[in-house]
Amino acid sequence: MRKLLFAVIASTFSFSAMAGGHADWFKEAGAPYKGTVLQGVAENTPPGQFAGEVLAKEFEELTGIKVQLENTSWDQMYDKAIKDMEANSGIYDFVYIEQDIVYDYLNRDFLVNITEGLANNPDLQAPGVSLDDFTTFIDYFKDGSGDVFGVPMEAFIKVYLYRKDLFERADAKAAFRAQYGYGLSPATSFDQYRDNAEFFTGFCAEQGMECWGTTVQGHTGHPASTYEFLESIAPSFGLYNWGVNMDSYQSCVENGGQLNGGRAKAALNFWTQLLPFAPPEALQSTWSEVGSSFAAGRAAQGWVYGENAAWIATDAERSAVVGNVGVMLPPTAPGVMTQAASGNGYIGYYDGGAYGIPHSSKNKEATMLWLQFVALNEHQADWAIAGGRITHKGTYSDPKVIAVDEQADGYFTLMRDTGFLYAGAPPFPFHGAGRGAIDPFIYSALAGEMTPEEALDGACAALDQVMADLGYQN
Amino acid sequence: MLSKNKTGWLLLSPTIIILVLVGLVPFFYVLYVGFFKWNPLAVDPSMQFEGFGFNYRRLIFDQVFLESIWRSIKFAFVTLFFELTLGFLLALSLLSSFPLKSFFRGVHTLPLVIAPIVVGSIFKLFTVQGLGPLPHILKDYFGYTLNYGLNADQAFWMIVIMDIWHWTPFVTLTLLAGLSALPQDPYESAKIDGANNFQIFFYITIPMMIPVLIVVIFIRLMDSLKIVDEIWMLTGGGPGYATRFTGIHIWKEVFEKRFYGLGSAMSILYLYITIVICWILYSVMASRGKDED
Repeated sequence: MRKLLFAVIASTFSFSAMAGGHADWFKEAGAPYKGTVLQGVAENTPPGQFAGEVLAKEFEELTGIKVQLENTSWDQMYDKAIKDMEANSGIYDFVYIEQDIVYDYLNRDFLVNITEGLANNPDLQAPGVSLDDFTTFIDYFKDGSGDVFGVPMEAFIKVYLYRKDLFERADAKAAFRAQYGYGLSPATSFDQYRDNAEFFTGFCAEQGMECWGTTVQGHTGHPASTYEFLESIAPSFGLYNWGVNMDSYQSCVENGGQLNGGRAKAALNFWTQLLPFAPPEALQSTWSEVGSSFAAGRAAQGWVYGENAAWIATDAERSAVVGNVGVMLPPTAPGVMTQAASGNGYIGYYDGGAYGIPHSSKNKEATMLWLQFVALNEHQADWAIAGGRITHKGTYSDPKVIAVDEQADGYFTLMRDTGFLYAGAPPFPFHGAGRGAIDPFIYSALAGEMTPEEALDGACAALDQVMADLGYQN
Repeated sequence: MLSKNKTGWLLLSPTIIILVLVGLVPFFYVLYVGFFKWNPLAVDPSMQFEGFGFNYRRLIFDQVFLESIWRSIKFAFVTLFFELTLGFLLALSLLSSFPLKSFFRGVHTLPLVIAPIVVGSIFKLFTVQGLGPLPHILKDYFGYTLNYGLNADQAFWMIVIMDIWHWTPFVTLTLLAGLSALPQDPYESAKIDGANNFQIFFYITIPMMIPVLIVVIFIRLMDSLKIVDEIWMLTGGGPGYATRFTGIHIWKEVFEKRFYGLGSAMSILYLYITIVICWILYSVMASRGKDED
């Protein structure tokens, strides 16, 4: 279906339409690089597929520059990109930079300064491309002086999805009120979330339905579970920046951190206690499986990445719950929303990524053309529909996006209006090393081998050790 | 003579150059890096020499690393035992004729041609909770809950079963080749002397098969000790540390956490342990072979 959708989009819009009124400029600017093959590597997400299957073809037709985009798994993408940049081998002309890894890449000087590159090559500056058109998400890909090192190609928030059809059932409402003494509704508090999860697990079983009360992105051998905890559950309990004291780079309470503090322990207890109400595949689920489980109708509610929210709500070929998806902000602990609104906290993860050019690229000029092509306003609405992502301010008001927004219960509107409550990952250059230290403890807590308290005590000690080893603690 | 030698060295030189480039140079580089404190994510990303024993001293007290070695050794010997036993039985059965023997041999060999990462995927699809058929069958017909995302023992044994499924055909085929090549005279003499099948197997077949067994054991032992792909796909090393074998542990330290110096030291230490294990095993088996002679 996705391929069909992409094919339809590709055939519906000729390249001149796709490139707006700038087709001639791209033709001319691309002429010196005709025949060049640009290699890219990115995570295999719906927006990445659109770039590879639609935009790359349009770009090649216009310029004669071929774009070979290797959309692969998250782990493989990092493995390939980082090895290439470390070895300076120049295999890839552009790489996907996830928001959380950008500090690592900038710290290691992997990336070309795009602002500087375009300023030094005025002939390569495409008309119709303005950095001012982007949402504030582009700020994550700027250095201290405001220069851009990555062109955002996807951005979304992690939202609370729920099954409207289940929540609106009269028999479910009556049974819930009888059991809990208050009305059934999508969760706005953690107690309510837990009650909903418990209730629907029992209700579905009674009705003979293959569904459970909640999703849990709880893979016990994949970082996805650590991410769900650190970037969604913990912030909604008021634990920010992984509980790391940003001045001293300590995470244990006894050293001034928060990772094994009360909020963190409450968050991990809440999350692990949801497991009995999650589909059996929860402990082997990453973000992809959570999206698939929800789309298959196997969960009544859950934290789901926005990149999946749009297709779950609208693509009947892939989703069994089209027309029945509700979208809301996730529940938060008292005070968290106020902190987020004032910029002193956040309620979850503003996720996404950009395409950047490694210093090792052998085709930097041609790649700059490609990145500007990707950034054209004309592509953004179709890309948003195909991938549930929005990187340009103007995309929200596009009629096509508004139509999909209605089908998706206002997901795009929610993202526009409440995106400021979310935040990207903390600016840790040691992101991967730090997360890798925490992973086994989260896995053990999910598997029941450790209590949440033991796990967080161990996790903060391991994280502190890594930060000490790397020289961040004075 | 000298000219003959020159020609020989000339012909061998491409092989020698390739071996040096892809074998010795990386090995000595890893050995060299293992003496440094080096992580490009650090405040000081340069290589810092802190004494030859810096990383190795740390590893001696690294509980997670030591446990991963113990786990890997346990895995290697458990799988070796089952693969050898099953492989020998299958090889013996394939010596005799039975209906559909060729078909069975073909099907039995299929796992060998599948890439390890694909084997991991197959097992994942087959066994994943909620979606794979095996947990359903075990639950519905035997009341047994299979959830290796939760249960550490199940995760370990699932990987053992996967490895047995993947590699027993290799053992079977190699032993079958060895069995087929055994001389028949000792068997005929033994039968004339009144030996039973049990005695023939333990006193004639096994001793004569020792050279083949040594080869099989070495190959399988070394392969098992460096297993990564299948585990990566099936459990990712979890739950917790349950299936974090040394190969996975080194990968995570080097490529996730970027501890290049420490990871290199781990690799060298693990190589040393592997060589020691193989050497001990070889000594035992070789002396056993001599005794039998």
